[in-house]
Amino acid sequence: MWSMPGSRSVRRSAVALAAAAALTVAGCGSESGDAAAGSERTLTVWIMEGTNPDSQPFFDELSAAFQQRTGATLDIQFMQWGAAKDRFTTAIAGQTTPDVAEVGTTWVAEFGDAGALADLGPRVQEAGLSDRLLPGLVEAGTLDGTLYGMPWYAGVRSIVYRTDVFAELGLQPPTTWDELVAVGQRIKQGRPDLLPLPIAGDNEFIVYPFLWGSGGEVATQNGDSWSSGVDSAQARAGVQFYADLALEHGFSTPAAATWRETDLRDSFTKGQSAMIFSGSWTPKAIVEAAPDLRGKIGAFPIPGPTGGLAPSVVGGSVLSIFETSDAQDLAWQLVEMMGTGEFAAKWAQESSYFPGITAQLNEAVQSPDPLVAPFAQQMVDSGRSVPVTPAFGQIQGKKTIAAMMRSILTGEATVEQATSTAAAEMNEIFASGA
Amino acid sequence: MTVAERTDVERVVPQAGPPSRRRPGTARPWLLLAPALLVMGGLLLYPLFRVLVLSLQDFGLRELVSGRTDWVGLDNYVQLLGDPDLWATVLPNTVVFAVVAVALTVVFGTLVALLLARLSPVVRGLVTTAIMVAWAMPAVTGTYVWVFAFAPGDGVVVQGLGAVGLVDAATADPFAGRLSFFAVAALNVVHHGFPFAALTVLAGLLTIPRELTEAAIVDGAGAWRRFRSVTFPMLRPVFAVVTVLSTIWDFKVFTQIYLMPGGDGVNRGVLTLGTWSYVESFAQSRYGLGAAIAVLLTALLLVVTVAYLRLLFREDEL
Repeated sequence: MWSMPGSRSVRRSAVALAAAAALTVAGCGSESGDAAAGSERTLTVWIMEGTNPDSQPFFDELSAAFQQRTGATLDIQFMQWGAAKDRFTTAIAGQTTPDVAEVGTTWVAEFGDAGALADLGPRVQEAGLSDRLLPGLVEAGTLDGTLYGMPWYAGVRSIVYRTDVFAELGLQPPTTWDELVAVGQRIKQGRPDLLPLPIAGDNEFIVYPFLWGSGGEVATQNGDSWSSGVDSAQARAGVQFYADLALEHGFSTPAAATWRETDLRDSFTKGQSAMIFSGSWTPKAIVEAAPDLRGKIGAFPIPGPTGGLAPSVVGGSVLSIFETSDAQDLAWQLVEMMGTGEFAAKWAQESSYFPGITAQLNEAVQSPDPLVAPFAQQMVDSGRSVPVTPAFGQIQGKKTIAAMMRSILTGEATVEQATSTAAAEMNEIFASGA
Repeated sequence: MTVAERTDVERVVPQAGPPSRRRPGTARPWLLLAPALLVMGGLLLYPLFRVLVLSLQDFGLRELVSGRTDWVGLDNYVQLLGDPDLWATVLPNTVVFAVVAVALTVVFGTLVALLLARLSPVVRGLVTTAIMVAWAMPAVTGTYVWVFAFAPGDGVVVQGLGAVGLVDAATADPFAGRLSFFAVAALNVVHHGFPFAALTVLAGLLTIPRELTEAAIVDGAGAWRRFRSVTFPMLRPVFAVVTVLSTIWDFKVFTQIYLMPGGDGVNRGVLTLGTWSYVESFAQSRYGLGAAIAVLLTALLLVVTVAYLRLLFREDEL
């Protein structure tokens, strides 16, 4: 029995040791900045793992091309999405940040506001890129007029459906909300073995298209302060319509109240759902997971209430230069190289995301691929960013919107109650952050 | 056990003799203790002190980058203790869950230990190995396995319960309700924690002289009586260690709750101190607030631990 308390204290001192190490690093980190400048030029680059299933060849090629152009070498380090934010935070604390990093759109505001990222606005303008960048990503990367990240790649959510089921029942992709309901009802009658359109409770990014679609706002900025818009009449109408797809029309299953986005994909690959809300990057993975669905899936944009398209959240990554980097000019050369031209196009193609350059995205709209064009159209026509303020990062951290949707779907709260609760929570965070 | 020893020392030292006899050796114990104290001071006390300091500041990413400090006094504590969620949901969830999970862990662990003590060495080795697997499994993996088993729709358990007509397998969702959510979490935590209790109690059981048990049998004591009057008093220190450690673990349980559907803050009804503190502080980059929660949690666990020890050891033994 004595080994138990022993191993516990070992674990505890390991934690303490890590803490002490972090403190030591923090203490002497300030000196390390200048030391690197004299030696051979190397840029440290942090890239998220998993976006591109096999990214090694891409970065080998990039490193070679960059060295040829500038003589500097790249030190590419991969990190997991899940652990990345903590890595950034500890690196900022210890001043061991990389020169260039891929930063998720939802983090830019927080890091930029903290003063960790360099302003890329002047460089983008100088390079003549201002009008060529994807507006949705520029919006996500801009805080108080300062651009903290160069758009790199983007994704958007639309609806993926089973073409064989639609053909069997003689259905066409819906173009209004009424048609969406009608299509769901036809599927419910014609194919009772399938869920027409499951609604996941823990999936905030699909709440917004409906909330925006009916004319609501997630939050609005008045001068320096923000206030929540989810309890407005328009926003409530959108949330109500979205919730009713499950509650009134029964297109979902009660179990989906605790589902995440990945659960939607699982139900689709298992052949249990006829339509799902899905990211533009997912169809490839669906076909890989369920080869028998090959050729049987298509996509259509999330429609607006009476036509047009509902605004959908543009997610993705930007390339940021850290303020602590002592080679910011060199870093910009790399950012420009990755964010434009052949490397941007190649990355987008390999990762099945969209490039952050409008011209390249327009090519995707023309794509004959039925799993590319609808998403590209949604992004070009109605791509939107969630509110860009560090406070919204906090709101996402607290899962306010997901909690709201879950409580509606489980029947614990009405749309009115849940949106009021969520709005109060958002306003509290907005107020404390100001 | 360690507690008993420590109090012995405290009691003996003041009586160790007149000061004149101790003086030549005063420095030596401290000298011998110095390396350990230095390590402890550097690795435990300093971080602890830093956490205390941090809990009095408004410390976020901005402060992290700029190195500025923003003293807010006891604001963090006021905000925490004034949060209605804490009293209405978080604390009741945490306390009830911990009490149930600790009770189940200790009772089940003790039963398994009593079983193990009766087995032949070979069989005991086999069974021990089997339960060690549950212990060795990382909490993340274990949690995913349990979530998988209870997944609404096609989880093994949901299907099984549906087959015997207890639930409607098509619509039942164990993660939706508060009670069923914590039932699954308790299964997971107890499954992960009972091997420690079982092995620790077993080690204690094997030290009980056979004669005592035999004498009790001769006196006509039944199994329950033998456990109550012989085994339990002999193993009281062991139960103290098992209970206190389990309490600490189950009080601050995080992984097993956070990874379950809704446990990451989406389902506000199932927040516990562990997940609530993460959602309120680190998920929102409010490190000062997080530090204040850590201080409160430490204080709470100290109180619980002391209360337990007092309960288990009567005052005359302390």
